[in-house]
Amino acid sequence: MVTLTIDGKKIEVPEGTTVLRAAQSAGVDIPTLCDHPHLTPYGGCRLCLVEVEGARTLQPSCTMPVSNNMVVKTNTKKVLDARKFVLTLIFSERNHFCPYCQVSGGDCELQNAAYHEGMTHWPLQPNWQPYPVDASHPYIILENNRCILCRRCVRACGELIGNFTLGFEERGAKSILVADTGIPLGESTCVSCGACVQVCPTGALIDRWSAYRGHDVALDSTQTICVGCSVGCGIKVFTRDNNLVRIDGDWDASINGGVLCEIGHFEPMTEKCDRIHTPMVRKNGSLKAATWEEALTAASEGLQSLKGKPRSSIAALISTRQPVETIHNFKQLFENHLGAALVTSTEEGYYTSFSSLAAESTGKPFEGKLSDIHNSDSVMVFEADPLKDHQVAGFFIKRKLPSGLKLLVIDKSENALDKAANKALKPGKCTYEDVFKALTAAVVKLGLAKGKTAIKADELHSLAEKTGLTTDDYLDTAYVIAAAERPVIVYESTENIASLKEFAALVGAKLVGLKGGANSLAAAQLNLDKSYKSDGFKAAFIALGDDELSQKMVKELESIPFKIVQASYASSATAMADVVFPSTTWLEQGGHYVNLEGTVQEAFQSIKPAEEIKTIGDTLIALSTKLGINLDGDWTKELYRRISPVEIAR
Amino acid sequence: MAKPKVSTDWMAGCAGCHMSLLDMDERIAKIAELVDLRSTPITDLKVPDESGVDVGVLEGGINNTSNEEVAHRMRSRCKILVALGDCAVFGGVPAMRNFFTIEESLRRAYIESESTDASGKIPSDPELCKPTRVRALHEVVPVDVFVPGCPPSADTIFYVLSELAQGRIPDVKDDKLSWY
Repeated sequence: MVTLTIDGKKIEVPEGTTVLRAAQSAGVDIPTLCDHPHLTPYGGCRLCLVEVEGARTLQPSCTMPVSNNMVVKTNTKKVLDARKFVLTLIFSERNHFCPYCQVSGGDCELQNAAYHEGMTHWPLQPNWQPYPVDASHPYIILENNRCILCRRCVRACGELIGNFTLGFEERGAKSILVADTGIPLGESTCVSCGACVQVCPTGALIDRWSAYRGHDVALDSTQTICVGCSVGCGIKVFTRDNNLVRIDGDWDASINGGVLCEIGHFEPMTEKCDRIHTPMVRKNGSLKAATWEEALTAASEGLQSLKGKPRSSIAALISTRQPVETIHNFKQLFENHLGAALVTSTEEGYYTSFSSLAAESTGKPFEGKLSDIHNSDSVMVFEADPLKDHQVAGFFIKRKLPSGLKLLVIDKSENALDKAANKALKPGKCTYEDVFKALTAAVVKLGLAKGKTAIKADELHSLAEKTGLTTDDYLDTAYVIAAAERPVIVYESTENIASLKEFAALVGAKLVGLKGGANSLAAAQLNLDKSYKSDGFKAAFIALGDDELSQKMVKELESIPFKIVQASYASSATAMADVVFPSTTWLEQGGHYVNLEGTVQEAFQSIKPAEEIKTIGDTLIALSTKLGINLDGDWTKELYRRISPVEIAR
Repeated sequence: MAKPKVSTDWMAGCAGCHMSLLDMDERIAKIAELVDLRSTPITDLKVPDESGVDVGVLEGGINNTSNEEVAHRMRSRCKILVALGDCAVFGGVPAMRNFFTIEESLRRAYIESESTDASGKIPSDPELCKPTRVRALHEVVPVDVFVPGCPPSADTIFYVLSELAQGRIPDVKDDKLSWY
């Protein structure tokens, strides 16, 4: 610990703390612009200058580490004058005329800093140099005229996302923010995660959708989670008059630490589908708007006649974007009360079933957590594509590459991480079992095995040949994972789970399993992970919500004579239905979700649905009442009944 | 003590700051009690007394030689000069044209505009003032009090005028300080 004095306050902080963080911890306010708590200090804006006793000049507090007996003053005339001067220079550089800007009036950190220093005018006028505006991106406008060169966006793009799209061209006052090698942002390697917009202190990076739709003080915000995939990122949903304005990553969320992907940040704003506003019932061959009472009656009549134990010819499918409460009620109604022959998720356990079975066969969870990726020195991605469908998990991997993380990809198909990998193994026509055997032989040959195996080193050559790869391919790959101190294997539920687990044990690697939908794991825990097989079903209930039904599934279900679909949007699934219930979207409902690492989180409603639109949960209760059934189970117990691939937090 | 004399005028602005002044409702009567309101663009007397006034208030930036004259005349006839609103303080909306040359701006306005036909031409009568780069008031004459805002709120204007009327220099800060 180091002891120092800031503005007469004696404080103790750990060694290596910056003066700025020390001051903040002591409640001393130092204005900043380029500083961001989630980014490494940069020392670019000089607004945080402080007086340090013994130092020749004012020092930037954000980059200066504390030292013992340091005496810091943050509010001397010299410091206050310097702050005004720093702001004067920033304002003089570009177009900072507030009335034209969407963040003016509370959301601009530059303007707020000027107010804080009581600046009534600019002592120096701007130099009137126009800079380029890049409006080529679908979500983001890059307005260099308002840029203060703080490089928060550049750091966020590199440090948080690992994408390194943004950078600066030219020097000094001519510096301009560019994408890649100076190409339009919309044609660049940008992955539309929105981190740059979220960290921009001024109006230089404009979110097209939310710009000019109200300042943060005028917006309502709901702290909730994204249900785009099984990562379960913490988000803040900003609304105004019950309309969606913006979604930000929640900096305080332990899972994602503020990071989001395109799906979490921008996709909810681009809703283009037709919303279903009222229940519909098929009459004389075509779907007609109906009252809830009519639709519930039609649905219950259709189901009542089939109700029978132990097996009735009903198929019931629910989306994994629904909360556990709803999935649990769904299971109760259809499996326990109506005796449906098939109750599963629309995902059919595709992303979980092998992992769940593997856990059950050994009787204990075997997967690690996302934090294992943060602590890892070598990651192997096996037949999963996190950068494509679990982007934030992909960012976690990519952003560690510059600090030395080794990355391996084993995937027969093209993988978004291929280019970033130290080694991407592309086996030919063979089973993955052979690939793992060859890898095991390579590990044995290298003498790096941490466990026992029957496979011998001299099998490597023949095994490698069998998979269409060279022994060197395997030795290189095996070395990177087996020589690592904290190796992690990221995978998606696979039929090769046994080989994978064996190999992971051999090299001492932790397994992190991606799970598909937001509640795929919860659905699996409730045994809703069976695959669909047509079985002369007479009726089907498809609880889709705002999810989509695959074309394959639509084809499978088409021939069932009586179909009830609850969905938010019109689709080929609702078009074939006999009864349609309108459903809330994820923003219009709440409930619990279990993410890929077994964290149970609650999502909260941020938008109120139209009166005629109900949650699937409420619809199930209404339907049960109609059928004379009482739903009263407790999901919190059911969730833990089955052994899970990853320990589920209680 | 005689009531302090106040004159106002506008230059390259939109008159919005004067509208905001009027927006102070019945408090304008209080101002009238406290000060001797001399010339303003919205009253009969248009030019500040040659004998001088105590407080001069200017709205708008300076975008031509005529504005320059107005600024210099006000400065020479008042003791305390107030820059009222973003245009007077920073240059404001008219200053957007500083990112272009004057020739480009004139061509856009008089020749290329959607409402001009082929015969459009840039006025060049020697009687007319000459357009210049848009400047904030303090780039042309020294300013004593800056009141930013687009427009400054009626509350802020009332505070500024009542402080000046009572012989104090207003300190525009906190909730009275806003640039938009």
